[in-house]
Amino acid sequence: MRLTPDQAQRYDRNIRVPGLGVEGQKKLLCSSALIVGVGGLGSPAALYLAAAGIGRLGIADSDVVSLSNLQRQILHFTPDIGKPKTLSARDKLTALNPDCEIVMHTYAVTEDNAAQVIAGYDIVIDATDNFPSRFILNKACLALGKAFIHAAVLSMSGRAMTVLPYSSACLRCVFRQLPAPHVPSTSELGVFGAIPGLIASIQVTEAVKYLLGQGELLTNRMLIYDGMSMCFELVEVLRDPDCPDCGQPSMIKRGCNYD
Amino acid sequence: MQVELRAYTGLEKFFGARHGEKLMVDIDANTTISDVLKRYGIPPAQVSAALVDGRHRALDYCLQPGERVALFPPVGGG
Repeated sequence: MRLTPDQAQRYDRNIRVPGLGVEGQKKLLCSSALIVGVGGLGSPAALYLAAAGIGRLGIADSDVVSLSNLQRQILHFTPDIGKPKTLSARDKLTALNPDCEIVMHTYAVTEDNAAQVIAGYDIVIDATDNFPSRFILNKACLALGKAFIHAAVLSMSGRAMTVLPYSSACLRCVFRQLPAPHVPSTSELGVFGAIPGLIASIQVTEAVKYLLGQGELLTNRMLIYDGMSMCFELVEVLRDPDCPDCGQPSMIKRGCNYD
Repeated sequence: MQVELRAYTGLEKFFGARHGEKLMVDIDANTTISDVLKRYGIPPAQVSAALVDGRHRALDYCLQPGERVALFPPVGGG
């Protein structure tokens, strides 16, 4: 493929980045990513990936836009309240960059359909808001050999980690159990809107590096961010031979129910 | 004997440290991660993961001298 004159202009600042260039831009235009959740993390992740010129972007969410979403979910505007998030997101993303094909998955990604949804994409971005969904994505990405960019946020903090199946530590090498039911979530402790913006930017940087085969990925280390102290910490994470998802085959349980 | 303890995302407040700040903790033989949590009044339900030298460990894991313990609360929002 050749870049059109418009594309050469649109992606000029990408192309000038060492390690990206015209060939990298073409590769991005031929790549695909799935973002699961089009909320606090998913909104900025989708905006940056679409703007960067990813060729095909899947957005999965079964929710509709509500007023309390708008302080952080920057793809959705006040007139979008009540609309499906995927529809609201598609309109903005298509307007931002018509090069990017938006595929809407307006339903929950579950254990039953995860593999089918994920199979069509090069990489999966975790922008969900709960542990059961993350565990489902982690396991499906392992089964299909898809790179998985995990992230989570709460209050003034967040974390991110990249998983390369059976090569680096996976999410369940670190987090084994679902949190206790009474543990506070964003609906109790809140989340400041810029926090998912920052963490999603890290996810997109990881995704683009992976797709272009550039740089060092955030594998076998977890980035932990605390906005109050403005500290970024990198914590070593190792693959666990006893991991229920990516450990030795005899340790892997099939058909786990995460609900 | 001592281990290195670091806690993140609010758990550090239980022992008056800064986010990710290293704390050297004296332990006896057979001290478990649970024992350390108890010492600082950290409710086990608030620890979503404990890593020892980068590997997941259950809270009944017996700590060895020089090991690095990292504690994480549940952070699940998106």
